[in-house]
This record gives sequence, structure tokens and C-alpha cells, in this order.
Amino acid sequence: MSNEQVSTSLRELLADIFEISPELVTPELSMGTMDSWDSFRHLQAILAIEGEYGVQFDPQRIPELTSVARLQAELVKMGVAL
Amino acid sequence: MQSDAERQELRLEIKDAVARQDAAGAVAGARRLLAASGKPADVQFCATALAGIADALRDQLGTRRLKTYVVRSVTVEPILPALAVEAVLANYLLDIEVGGYGSYADELLNSDSSLAKFKPELVLILLDMEEIAGRLPELCAGGGGAEVEREIEECVARMAQLLRSYRAGSTARILLQGLVIPDCTSLGDVGEANLPHSLTKAVQQLNLGLAALCGTIADCVFFDVDRLAARTGRARWRDARMFLASRLAVAAEWFGAYARGLVRTFSTMFRAPRKVLCTDLDNTLWGGVLGEDGPEGIATGSAFPGNCYLEYQKYLKQLSSRGILLAIVSKNNEDDVREAFNVRAADLALSMDSFVALKINWHEKAESIRELARELSLGLDSFVFVDDNAVECEAVRRQLPEVAVVEAPAAEPWRLVEILSEQPFFDAVVVTGDDVHRVDEYRAQAKRAELASSVGSRDEFLASLGIVCAFQSALDAPLARAVQLLAKTNQFNLTTRRRSAAEIEEFAAAEGGQAVVVRVRDRFGNAGVVGLALARRQGDSCVIDSLLLSCRVIGRGIESALLAHVGEEAARAGAKRLVGEFIATKKNAPCAEFYSDHGFTRFVPRGGNSSDSVFYELDLTSSAITSPKWITVEGNEK
Repeated sequence: MSNEQVSTSLRELLADIFEISPELVTPELSMGTMDSWDSFRHLQAILAIEGEYGVQFDPQRIPELTSVARLQAELVKMGVAL
Repeated sequence: MQSDAERQELRLEIKDAVARQDAAGAVAGARRLLAASGKPADVQFCATALAGIADALRDQLGTRRLKTYVVRSVTVEPILPALAVEAVLANYLLDIEVGGYGSYADELLNSDSSLAKFKPELVLILLDMEEIAGRLPELCAGGGGAEVEREIEECVARMAQLLRSYRAGSTARILLQGLVIPDCTSLGDVGEANLPHSLTKAVQQLNLGLAALCGTIADCVFFDVDRLAARTGRARWRDARMFLASRLAVAAEWFGAYARGLVRTFSTMFRAPRKVLCTDLDNTLWGGVLGEDGPEGIATGSAFPGNCYLEYQKYLKQLSSRGILLAIVSKNNEDDVREAFNVRAADLALSMDSFVALKINWHEKAESIRELARELSLGLDSFVFVDDNAVECEAVRRQLPEVAVVEAPAAEPWRLVEILSEQPFFDAVVVTGDDVHRVDEYRAQAKRAELASSVGSRDEFLASLGIVCAFQSALDAPLARAVQLLAKTNQFNLTTRRRSAAEIEEFAAAEGGQAVVVRVRDRFGNAGVVGLALARRQGDSCVIDSLLLSCRVIGRGIESALLAHVGEEAARAGAKRLVGEFIATKKNAPCAEFYSDHGFTRFVPRGGNSSDSVFYELDLTSSAITSPKWITVEGNEK
């Protein structure tokens, strides 16, 4: 899956966590571009993704996964079928 | 996991309910979605949806808003959505503010702190071992017994100082979380079990100390998080990766259970436990159908499956011993039931006498429960109904939504006790002497009713009861009983203000203030502390802030004696005027005319009246309230 589009399930999950409409969840969306994506919301998103896809992120990587594209790429790297 | 289709369907249902502003529908939908899939995304979805209908929740379900402050040393933010949702399911809407990681001591001690300024109604104190007792693991590992003991004492003393300091400046309810017993320690399982000062024992001792401390502080409850952790398995309770990386003390999997535990614990400070359990008989109290199987054929006793029912009977007996009233609501012939209780007495943990009321007939069960509520003078929100029949359960849910309904699993009778104990409705932080004696008191009530039907006039009947009212300070009621009365009295309650223990203490301490309770007994029994009044001095007036009477003693003139007592005390303290206040609620119509019936006149306070209050006054220089002649009064002199 390319970074051009966000998988439906990840888009919906992040829309829930960030409390925004799914159309707004683009690959470019990031901690820098959205105020409500603060460090706590980030942790919440990480926990939600781990719970949803049954994966565990390396804690060292967590602070780096600060955009939708990076989160998606990391999941693909971990072998998650999105 | 449930299918995604089901998840989507439940989400749509919640969205529709929110769009319709249907609070009950949204709450029911959220309950089902969380039961089907408690994943973080679903929890956040519910939190967002429910937050969007805050007004509807308040207007339609009476959801109580609670300003809540979290004092913490760990990361709680990702848990807040779960906490918010669980709170709504228990009918609270939390307005949450979270304190700093390292500032908990300052927040509790400093009267200028963000905690003090927030003026919360509820404070959750969630500290981790490192904060409360950071040296303990090392001391225990070193085996220094005396040092371990001293450290535990000092930890409890430090916490006592923080709590007392905060309590002195705030009336907020406080929840103090205990510690989870660490699962991995250097002493290992064998050492933890056998060494006299192992960390396991030290943390248990510390938790006991903190729980005891909470018992000495007004409006403070201990949250035993270790019990929850043990239920899920302590090894899985915490995700070490997330704790060490982000100071998250609970694994994401358990956010829901943790939030439920917090809500269940703090709820006990805001609402009274239910008082009556109505049980069905066939396939609930015993196995089988009495009408078909006969007394010898029903299942109860020491052999399986009868012992499943015996377990349930023992559980009910224990509830009864702490004051919860038992009643039978069953479609059966009463004679058959009596015979069964006689014939199978050796196999039953309960006898007919264990029940304060019987509704064994062929009427609608909702009607039977309504009759019980009238006879016992209790609100329907005090009732729990247990029945194995799904249709009966649904009928009661629909007709009497205030009643808590528990469906007994007829095919798995061994699960009934577990299902019942999961329910929070009998939770109580204190069990007062009055609770324990309540069962006897309700039996006495039945005897009074018999006497009433044999005596001619009302006055003659009341005189024959030999009622004695003893007045004493609410602080000695004991105080916990006074708070309990304020929390649960609805019908004869003039202002329905749910005052806290700390507030009662303020009334008692203020110059010209009153915090008085009335203890009632008669020839049939001791009703205990059943009434309370709080009053304050305002200029040359004495203003009654709260006045209430437990509904089971209404109509015997005790309310008049209580008012007369407050009037006398006010006059003695130099007040020239007694002011009463009435705030109408859905339930307190029985006392609407209370003040006018006692010679008060209605008035509008200076500056107009913006609230729902109706005010009454009585000139104490020219008139007094007389206590009914059939009541003997004790404790009127200071």
C-alpha cells in the first residue's frame, strides 16, 4: 500500500481518536499540523492502534511516528495487513 | 473480537440516538458497544458521542455533573475517555482536570494550588508506589524488619497529613487509590510468601493502613486497585514497556475495568445503596418449578445442582445480615411455598422468616413490587429484582425503570452469585448499626400495622406506641449515619441538599448553628437515627438549611417534634425568627405543606427570590412549635 492514501480502517480509527471527520485523516496529517494531536493524544492513538491490530511498537520509535503516513508505513513494515 | 459489521451497526445506533438527542438510547448503545468491543477507538467514539449530548443526559436521565480533579504521579490522560464513559453509564458526567506529575503534595497542601482553585466536588488521588513508598522495595529486599515497619508508618503518616490538610480546606469527596502488589520482585515467589517483611506483605500492610486512614477522614474512600489487578492477573495488569516509556500504570487492555473500579468506588460517596432484594422462587431461589416438581422435587441442598441455589441463599442471608431487606416476589400458591419451606428446611439457608415481605400470588410482578414499595415506605429506586424469566425481567424493566433487574441464568445457576456481586447497587463504605437493625425494624413495622387496625382513633394508636424521641448532635449519630440520611432521603426531605460530612461539621461548629439528629424508639422496637436537621444563624434569624425524616416513620408526629426541637434550640440561642425553606422535587410532595402546617407564613426574601426555593417564617418571640403530646422527648437540654 502506498503512502498516497490512508487505509480505511486506520483512517476511521484515527478519526475516532482525534475526534475529527474521516475525510480529514490524510497522509500529511501530523502532530505539527493539528493542535489537538498533542503528546497525550499521540499516546492514545498509539494504544488504539496497538489494540486494534494486535501489535506492539518499539517505545523508541513511538515519538517518531508523528504523522499518519509514518504510522501507516510503520504498520506496513511490521507486516500488518491494513 | 466481534465482527466489524456488528461494531459498525452499534456505532450507527449510537449516532442516530445522539442525532435524536435520545440520551437513554445513546447510553444503551454505548453499553452494548463496549460489551461487544472495548477497544480504545470504540471507547473514544462513545466518549465523544456522549459528551455531545451532555444537556440531554442531564435533562432526560438526571445525570449528575461532577467537577473532578485528578491528583496523580502517573500518566492518566489516555484513560480519561474510558473514565468519562464508565461515569456516564453510572449516570455521572465528569468535568475533569488533571494535576501535574510531580506536584501532588503542593496541590493537596497549598490553599492556592490549581486543585484548590478548581474547587472540585470529587478528587481522585492516583499515586504510584514510587511516590508513596519509593524506598519500600529496597528495604524489603534487604530484610530490615524494623526499617520496613517504620517506612510503612511514615508513608501512612505522610498521606494522613496531605489528606487532613486538604480536608480542612475543602468539602470535596476524596478517593485515595492504594498500591498494586508488585508481581516481579527480587525475593521471588517463595521469598515473598515466607519472609516476614517481604514486599508483598509490606504493600498489603500499607494498603490496610491507607484504608484505615480513609475511614478516619470525612467523605474519603479507599480504592483497592490491587483487588482489581489480582482479578485480571497482576502480571498482566501493568505493561512494563508502557509504564517505563510513558508512566502508564495500567495496561490499555484494562482501562475499562480500571475506570469501572474508580466509578464504582467513588459512587458510594454520592448515592445510597439499594435496600430491598426481591427474589423469584422457581429456578432462582431453588431449582425446578415447585408447582410441577413438588417440595421434594425442587433442587436445593448440598448436592449439585441444589448447592448452586444454596450458595445464592447464603449470599442473600449475608445481605440480610447487613440490613438489606429480602422479599419474595413469585407466581405460586402461598400454601405450597410454606409447605416447601417446611419440608425442605434442612436444605435451605433461608426460612420464611428471613423475608420481610411476601408477594406470592398470580399478579403482575411489577404490581407486586409497587405494592411492596408502598408497604415498606420505600422508593422504587431502592429495589432490586432477581428472576430467571426473561419476560418477567423485561416487563419489570419497562414498567418500573427505577428498579434494578438481575436476570438469573437458569441454565447456569452457579453463575448467579457472581452476577449479583458484579452489581454495584449494594455497595456501602459504612454499615451503620441502623443498617443492621433495619430488618428487625421492618418486622416491627408490620406489628405496628396490626395494632393500628385494632385501635380506634389515630391519636389513641399513636399514644399506645409509646414513642420516644431522643435528640443528639449529628456528629454523634454517628456522622456517617447523618451523611447516609442526607444522601438517601427523598420523600420527606424539605430541600434535598446532599450535604457532606465536612459540611455537617461546619453547621455544628458555627455560632448559633445546629446539626441535630433524632433517634426514635417505641414499644415495638428501635428505629434508630431517622431524622436530621441542619440550621445556621443569619442575623437574628435561624435558617433551616435541611430537614428530613426517613419515610418509614412519617406520620407519627416525629417531624413535628424535630421542628419543635430546632425552634427551641434557636430561641435558646437568641434567634427571634425561624426560617424554613422548601424546594420541590419529583419525590418530596409529602412535605410540601410542612411549614404552613406548623404555623409558618410564606414570605419572599429581600432582593426577590431567584431560586426554586419557597421560604417560610415563624416569629419565635410570639409563637412556638409544640411537640405532639404522645411523644416523649429526651435530650432537649444542652
